[in-house]
Amino acid sequence: MSSEKSAANRIGRPSRRCEDGFVRVLIVDDHPSFRASARKLLESDGYEVVGEAADGAGALRVAEELQPDVVLLDVQLPDVDGFEIAERLAAMEHAPEVILTSSRDVSDYGSCVEDSGARGFVPKAELSGAALSLLLE
Amino acid sequence: MSSRLLIAAWSVALASAALSLALVLSSDHEPDPAARAALIVGLGLVYVGCGLVAIVRRPENRVGLLMVIVGFFWFLSSLAESNRPTIFTIGLSLSLLIYGAFAHLILAFPSGRLETPMARAIVILAYVDVTIVQWLLLLFHADIGQANLSCDDCPRNVLAVSESHAASVAVDNLQRGVGLALVWAALAVLYRRARNATPAARRTLLPVVITSSVSIILLAAQLVAASFDRHAAQTLNWFVLASFATVPIGFLIGLLRSRLARSGILRLVVDTADEPSLREAELALREATGDPALRLAYWLDEVHGYVNVRGKPFEIPEDTPTRVTTKIDYLGNPIAALLHDRALLDEPNLLAEVVGVVRMGLEKDRGERALRATELRNRAVLDAIPDLMFRIALDGRYLDYRAPSDYDLVVTEVIGKTVWDRLPRELADQVMAAGRRAIDEREVQTLEYQLDFSGEPRYFEGRVAASGEDEFLLIVRNITERKLQERELQASRARIVAAGDEERRRLERNLHDGAQQRLVSLSLSLRLAEGQLNTNPEAAANLLDSAREELTQALEELRELARGIHPAILTDRGLPAALEALAARATLPVEIERGDENLPAPVEAAAYYVVSEALANVAKYANASCVRVSVAQQNGAARVEVADDGDGGADPALGSGLRGLADRLAALNGTLEVESPPGKGTTIRAEIPLRVG
Repeated sequence: MSSEKSAANRIGRPSRRCEDGFVRVLIVDDHPSFRASARKLLESDGYEVVGEAADGAGALRVAEELQPDVVLLDVQLPDVDGFEIAERLAAMEHAPEVILTSSRDVSDYGSCVEDSGARGFVPKAELSGAALSLLLE
Repeated sequence: MSSRLLIAAWSVALASAALSLALVLSSDHEPDPAARAALIVGLGLVYVGCGLVAIVRRPENRVGLLMVIVGFFWFLSSLAESNRPTIFTIGLSLSLLIYGAFAHLILAFPSGRLETPMARAIVILAYVDVTIVQWLLLLFHADIGQANLSCDDCPRNVLAVSESHAASVAVDNLQRGVGLALVWAALAVLYRRARNATPAARRTLLPVVITSSVSIILLAAQLVAASFDRHAAQTLNWFVLASFATVPIGFLIGLLRSRLARSGILRLVVDTADEPSLREAELALREATGDPALRLAYWLDEVHGYVNVRGKPFEIPEDTPTRVTTKIDYLGNPIAALLHDRALLDEPNLLAEVVGVVRMGLEKDRGERALRATELRNRAVLDAIPDLMFRIALDGRYLDYRAPSDYDLVVTEVIGKTVWDRLPRELADQVMAAGRRAIDEREVQTLEYQLDFSGEPRYFEGRVAASGEDEFLLIVRNITERKLQERELQASRARIVAAGDEERRRLERNLHDGAQQRLVSLSLSLRLAEGQLNTNPEAAANLLDSAREELTQALEELRELARGIHPAILTDRGLPAALEALAARATLPVEIERGDENLPAPVEAAAYYVVSEALANVAKYANASCVRVSVAQQNGAARVEVADDGDGGADPALGSGLRGLADRLAALNGTLEVESPPGKGTTIRAEIPLRVG
């Protein structure tokens, strides 16, 4: 997936940052290895990973509890798919920014990403703090 | 013999009779001219007449000719009534020829031939006795008269050379002795012939034998009496001559019996109107011909040979002296054979009528048999058809029907009902519309429908054909089984497609969850390492290390996945190696028995998946300690068996894995069987035909 294509999926909304300057991230993915790698990567790029969840229900619960700025949300979850979770997160009182991610290409999902209310989509293999920042700008 | 010749012969006979009459009546030595005249003329004409009738009826038989000859000899004997010595002497020298010819006649009856040496000897000796011996007697007996008795009033015997009493007595005794011996011999021959005759021959023979025997016995008495009492001999001679007249009567009785037999044949012709069986025809022919052993055989084209009246093959035997076969044909084709008494050949008219009747009867019977055979064949064809057949009028009424059983009759009452009474309205309308189309277009119409039999649906195919201007035939076949098979086939196809889709989904998921995730992690690790390469080389080295680990794992998972798509070892090394590989990866000991046969590739693949799925099931559910796998080739099929010693009790309704396998095998016309009694392990058997397609 090219970065130009990723850029085409960015949605222009203001970024949310904490007062101390760190963006607080919740990682939602059913693969522990990805969660671990993503945590290391984002933390090394200056993000604060405040929590992890392995499924949709966990994501909603943890998001409610921790009120992260950003939720990095895998599309394919074991219980509910990421698009629906994205909608529910958007409906929360302190709605976080949702960045959808998947090992598949965004084109595999048609307009689902846009319709879900998510801030953007980043392919898992291209995940980086910079990519995330670009989407959140 | 032509009628002209007959008339000529009869005219000669009448002329001879007139001459004889004149001679007798003018005789001055005949003591009883009227009686003699009546005897000679009567007997002569009777013999000639009967002989001519016999010639007409049986031209090839010499009996008639012999009778005519006897008749003329009677006339010839009248020469002895002449008053002229020369003629008288000629008459005397030939007067006894009657006896020779008579012996000839009765011993040759009824065939006209002297068939035994004995008969021939008797006749030859008789002729010698009545000619040469007679002439010898005339040489020595001067005052000889009728019946060789002494006659004082008779003309002179011109042949008498000497009046030797001793010589004449000697010759007379010789003649009578020989005559007597011949008479007894002839009687013996007749008796034996009558006793040995077949019933049919006896019927003809008996009247002649009886009458001629009477004559012979009287003749014998006369010959004996002549030695003692001249008057008694003379009287007996009258009786002898009179008894000769009964012989043609016997002959006529024989004829009459033939005529009666022929009327029996005619009765048979009439009776055939009541369709007698061939067996009855044979019995009737036996009665009509008087031959209880007569056998009727008829020609059967199917076996190209004769069969008897019971339909058993019949070999025509060689002709024997008593039994012969007459073959009957029609327009050059054999139709029957009659094995009958040879005596029937002596009654050609009777035989001809019998043959005619048999020919006519069999031709009629053959026609009827052919018709019956056609009917039987048609019935057999109808009986062999399992379909229901209905004749339906254009107003919807059932006219007739035929059903092998009530099983497929939705309403068992048919006749008198209408289609709307028996069938759902919509279907009844369809049937009638098809019937009208069949009549209008003269083309067979077809329709398929379903009927409910107490909750059980049955499927039918109806064919509708016109069977008249205002009726049609509905032929209905139960196609439920075919329909169910079609549905099962469709379901099986759908399952195969679904299984394929599911397999693809599984592959996609496995790829996504496995190798793809590993590669994502690898990518992230490399990115991290890249970021820390300058700032924290040690951390970067650790990250690269874990990246390599991820890569190894990803490769392994890809390999496993590829194996799931199709085992490379099966393609590359064949079934034995693939089974060994399965056994090696299994979590419990697997014992493999396999022959060396090469199986077609689709069969090998099916066998592999049977074993693979069965081993996976054993590992998951069976709680077994070992598994035995065998693959063998038997009766044109591969037999695969996987047996474990586990808990058994597996659900025979098959899990989705086994169901998929069953579909895969069904596509190869194979079968899958699961045997899993609780506590006794599970055995899965698959049979896959080697001839694919």
